[in-house]
Amino acid sequence: MNDLVPSTSPRDMTWARRKQALARVWRELRHDRAGFVSLVVLLGFGLVALSAPLIADRSLLLAAAGRNNPDLASPSAQFLLGTDDIGRDVLAQLVWGSRVSLFIGIFATVVAVVIGSVVGLVAGYVKGKVATVLLAIDEFFLVVPFLPLAIVLAVILGRSPVTLAIVIGITSWAGSARLVRAQVLTLSERAYVERARALGAGTWQIIFRHVLPGVTPLIIANATLIVPGAILTESTLSFLGFGDRLSPSWGKLLDGAQSSGSITLNAWWYYLPPGLCIIAVVLAFTLFGRALERIFDPRLAGR
Amino acid sequence: MSNRYVVKKIVGALLTLFAVVIFNFFLFRIVDRDPLTKYRGRSKLSLEQRETMIRRMGLSGSKWDQFVAYIKSTLQLDFGRSFDSTRPVLREITDRLPATLILVGVSTVLTICIGLYIGAKAGWARGSRFDRVSTSTTMVLYATPEFFFGMLLLAIVAGRTGWFPTGGLRDVGTNNGFVASLLDRTHHLVLPSLTLTLGYLGSYSLIMRTSMLDTLGEDYLTTARAKGLKESDVMTHHAVPNALLPSVSAIAISFGFVIGGAITTETVFSYPGLGLATADAIRNTDLPMLQALFLVASAAVIFFNLVADLTYGLLDPRIRHSI
Amino acid sequence: MSAVLEVRDLHITYASSSGLVPAVRGVDLEIAPGETLGLAGESGCGKSTLAMALLRLVPPSTQITGSIKLAGQDILTMKPGQLRAARWAQASVVFQGAQHVLNPVRRIGRQIDEAIEAHGSASVSRAGELLDLVGLGARRGDDYPHELSGGQKQRSLIAMALACDPLLLIADEPTTALDVMVQAQILQLLDNIKRERGLSMLFITHDLSVLSHTADRVAVMYAGRIIEVGAGDALLRNSLHPYSKALTASFPIIGDPSSRHQPRGLAGDPPDPNNLPSGCPFHPRCTVAIDECQSVDVQLRHAADDEERSVACVLVGKS
Repeated sequence: MNDLVPSTSPRDMTWARRKQALARVWRELRHDRAGFVSLVVLLGFGLVALSAPLIADRSLLLAAAGRNNPDLASPSAQFLLGTDDIGRDVLAQLVWGSRVSLFIGIFATVVAVVIGSVVGLVAGYVKGKVATVLLAIDEFFLVVPFLPLAIVLAVILGRSPVTLAIVIGITSWAGSARLVRAQVLTLSERAYVERARALGAGTWQIIFRHVLPGVTPLIIANATLIVPGAILTESTLSFLGFGDRLSPSWGKLLDGAQSSGSITLNAWWYYLPPGLCIIAVVLAFTLFGRALERIFDPRLAGR
Repeated sequence: MSNRYVVKKIVGALLTLFAVVIFNFFLFRIVDRDPLTKYRGRSKLSLEQRETMIRRMGLSGSKWDQFVAYIKSTLQLDFGRSFDSTRPVLREITDRLPATLILVGVSTVLTICIGLYIGAKAGWARGSRFDRVSTSTTMVLYATPEFFFGMLLLAIVAGRTGWFPTGGLRDVGTNNGFVASLLDRTHHLVLPSLTLTLGYLGSYSLIMRTSMLDTLGEDYLTTARAKGLKESDVMTHHAVPNALLPSVSAIAISFGFVIGGAITTETVFSYPGLGLATADAIRNTDLPMLQALFLVASAAVIFFNLVADLTYGLLDPRIRHSI
Repeated sequence: MSAVLEVRDLHITYASSSGLVPAVRGVDLEIAPGETLGLAGESGCGKSTLAMALLRLVPPSTQITGSIKLAGQDILTMKPGQLRAARWAQASVVFQGAQHVLNPVRRIGRQIDEAIEAHGSASVSRAGELLDLVGLGARRGDDYPHELSGGQKQRSLIAMALACDPLLLIADEPTTALDVMVQAQILQLLDNIKRERGLSMLFITHDLSVLSHTADRVAVMYAGRIIEVGAGDALLRNSLHPYSKALTASFPIIGDPSSRHQPRGLAGDPPDPNNLPSGCPFHPRCTVAIDECQSVDVQLRHAADDEERSVACVLVGKS
């Protein structure tokens, strides 16, 4: 298609509208200091996570890698952040840890958002028994304490990072299902959905063509706010013994630091960096999510 | 509060508890087809011991028979024996319950009081210095895993200075009278409860701040000001009582997080409560313990939610008088 | 006798997300002891902003210039403590009971007594006595707002307004949300109380018909200004400004059967305060506008044939 000729097909119009909306989000984000700074922080962590193999070789994580190094050595030119209790380079683990932590946090969020959106969309749009059952399940997951639930699920389903992500996803969708449902309820009263219904569109067609685009901004903002929770949960589960010591997340590093007694030994280079990384990423995701919420929902401005 | 409201809430809580019990069965007997494979000592078991164990764990017969047996034993609070210690699970739990009740109780009271106070003050003076400082502090608190707090506290005030013990419930071998023992236990309680309080202060005060902001535009505040009330009275008598209402339910939901926080906090401080028991059960894959601990945690949250619902009923005359 | 309320050249501009909004643009008012002034206009004309500004109950970011003298003291220059002492004791507000003007989680009696306590006389509860006075009965003091009907809420708000024996009652649409029967009762109650206690009253409404028996004088507001003011009955029967004419024509005058058969509504919406029309702000909606109206913004001036009447219209009072 020739770009120079203005086309007016509905598909192109939709694209143009989306591009405009994105441009607006970008413009407002640039003026939202907290949101913009947190985006930069997140991109920085993302870059480190992606380029981990370039920064430190994966073999440094192996137990054998520390065999010839001093244990719990303080930072030096050779080991910028010292070594852990079996002599491995802490910095290498920290860099690779960003991969595991971010991967689990984001993957868990995808799981949570998919379940939450589907349940919310269906419960909001379809009335009757289906909605009642879905709401009861949602209520159940809201009430049951989620860390004990995640623990029990992880013990039964397995301890690998992917399983942990799925487990965290399963335990964190209930809130977003509620949000999406509430939004769907208001949207389905709107004229354009009624019109589509009057024109004979099917239920699923209405949900995906007309309702879903309306709730997408909300889902995105909500997802950005689920990620920090998921990262915190991951670090907690790893701290409690789940996860893999040879491919450690930040939480797993803290677990190692705790169980090796690095605190009483004053080995701050072992426990401080992973903790600070968790705080930075969680804070950045939270601030970024709140900035998105403000942009998508101007009523929240000034909160 | 009308009896119907109370009864409705109690029945709802019992139904949820029952759902948790069924869910528990589903998890441990259906998703996990053969729980015994998780028993580490299984290879040493003779065939006869294995049979006994299967019978004792209620794993024999059809799924329906298992379900009936499970419900029966759960109603009798019989959760089997711990894989690890081989003592009855109920005994393990009742032994460790008081320590956790005190830790969670103290922390919850502190968190609610301090969190609500900070949140109310920040929301009332939105945009002020206090609001900016407290909101950014609470955001950082919110972003910090509570066990990292614990580790920092341990490193600073226990490791370096020795002002506080690094762990445990009490000093071994000190048994000189009630007051001394009470002081000793309190001394051991300070850091864990401070950790748990700091860990969840953030979310509680953010909740209160938001509901305070929602009440700021209400007409009854204008009425109160028109009557010549001082700003402090407008806040304490009019804004806060109304802002508390939505906070009560939100706080009840966050209580589940505090329970989770107790698990890691007790681990950091080797505080021998149910949280440490959970961490141990994870490392030992002690299924009977985990199953019971999950039930206890759920029951605690459901109970706390019930208390919150009833408190809400007391605070809000519209519910108190309705139906 | 000196005026209870004297407002001079009042301008109120509040800050909104879209910039500064001029809500009141130069208003003069005075109310004599025992007098009732009706202030009428459509919603958005600035009358409620004006009422709230009289006790400085506007958001802190709002700019107020001019002067508001209550019993001789300027509200606008008072320190916070003086202002609190003046509120409710000099002038009190009879709010509209429909919205959440009453705190939903506090007993009615407490909400009345706290006004008295705020002014230093904490010793005795007067709530019961006041609730009796407005015909609710002292027992109702133990009720919460949701237990009262609309009319009962309005009565309790009147009782509340009397708590500190004010000189002036500012009644802000006190009957708007009520049905006609209750409306009449409330109007009667306000009238009785005012007479018995010799109170002055500023009665704000969008419905001119409720003013016919209540107001000694009437002022009509449009786009932040008073465009006609005069003796109550005379103005209601024979309004001179085209806007007041349109307002008075939209209700039947009791005792004048012919007025019922010619209801004339008002076309269009009130102007956006951020973007007022040039000249007379009413000219786009005016049925008798002439070319001059687009450029000339006439100030309030005496009408030739009525001493008490002032009108802001090119077509009136040109002598």
